[in-house]
Amino acid sequence: KQWYQRRLAITAGQEVTERAAEVKKLLNLTKNKDALKLALQNPPIGHQDPSVKEQNYETVLSVLKAFRTPEIDAAVGELSDADVDVLMKYLYKGFSNSPDKAAALLLWHEKAVKKGGVGCVIRVMVDRKGI
Amino acid sequence: SSGINAEWPLRPGEWKASLVLLRIERAATYVRWSPNEDRFAVGSGARLLSICYYDEEHDWWVSKHIKKPIRSTILCVDWHPNNYIVAIGSCDFKCRVFSSALKELDDKPEVSPWMAKLSKFSTLLAEFDTSDGWVHGVKFSPSGDKLAWVSHDSSINVVDMNTQDKVSRIVMASLPLNSVIWGSESSVICGGHDCYPVLYNLVGDNVVFGAKLDVNNKKADGGISAMARFKMMDSRGGAEKDNSTKLDTTHQNAIKELRVTKMAGAQLKQFSSVGKDGKLVIWDVDALVAAIQGLKL
Repeated sequence: KQWYQRRLAITAGQEVTERAAEVKKLLNLTKNKDALKLALQNPPIGHQDPSVKEQNYETVLSVLKAFRTPEIDAAVGELSDADVDVLMKYLYKGFSNSPDKAAALLLWHEKAVKKGGVGCVIRVMVDRKGI
Repeated sequence: SSGINAEWPLRPGEWKASLVLLRIERAATYVRWSPNEDRFAVGSGARLLSICYYDEEHDWWVSKHIKKPIRSTILCVDWHPNNYIVAIGSCDFKCRVFSSALKELDDKPEVSPWMAKLSKFSTLLAEFDTSDGWVHGVKFSPSGDKLAWVSHDSSINVVDMNTQDKVSRIVMASLPLNSVIWGSESSVICGGHDCYPVLYNLVGDNVVFGAKLDVNNKKADGGISAMARFKMMDSRGGAEKDNSTKLDTTHQNAIKELRVTKMAGAQLKQFSSVGKDGKLVIWDVDALVAAIQGLKL
């Protein structure tokens, strides 16, 4: 069972790396909304290796940076409920890890609350595993 | 009561207060009589469920504990109609179903989807961990075939005893719910930190929003009179807005618990809600159905 869990962890790590590359390609093609949706897929929640979580976090941040302010509303509007929950988790991670980016993150936060409601924020608060 | 040792059930006929020693080391959080009222369950911060019943022979209330595998404070308890199956929600984020079948009480448990094989007292029958938050409220449907629970991650979870691996779940945009009751076999009514009762329907495998059950009563006090409006403008220098902190829901603070007060068969007819605002409100289902368009229980 331990071997199996290690394999799962390695594949999750690989997935994060592959996703980072894919997202970069999409951003280069200015397919920002697609990049966003991809970046929020299958986050390594509760992964034992913090560098894997860090890498995914950087991927998500790189996508958020690519949007101009007026585009954020539409982008969030197209996300599924599950994706908005993941986005919100990354926003709060951003508030604590990258306080210098707080202004930009707050713009996203406002739109995310508009879509996911306060319930979405509550789910970040009760999450124990950490994104 | 939140007393640590005592329960004071009043014996029918004489109404004599007797002491029940629960033998728990933390506060009692929740207590419910079973449907046949021959026993009651007490949830506590001691991470165990006490099932208490009266022992005629010794003129004494006995308290038996269900401990494993409960890992944290029990927040809510509900009895199945068959009187010996009980469900709990706890702070370890899980909803569990146990057998409290006791020979002493002449229980004759039967095999059912909840109890695949005859199980003695304290056997764990089912465990659900679809919630990320504390499970605030749990309730069996009127027939006992389904179980619903609400938790602090703003979700409502429902499971049918015949398909226990498939939990129907809705994750909401509103604040967490504290309590859940059934409107019928296919609808639940919940109340919580948003201060109003809300109906959700079970449609196939999905939990679908039905309606907010608090018909907006801002109109009830007629809004602000012209005189009052001018007075406000005068004192606040032109601000017309009603700056009161009054919520436009009947409850002015979170709903703590909903309770069924009247049923007609498996249909809910009337329920009560208590809130942190100190109010006890009785809600009439027929009146709500008449007032809210498209409301269906």
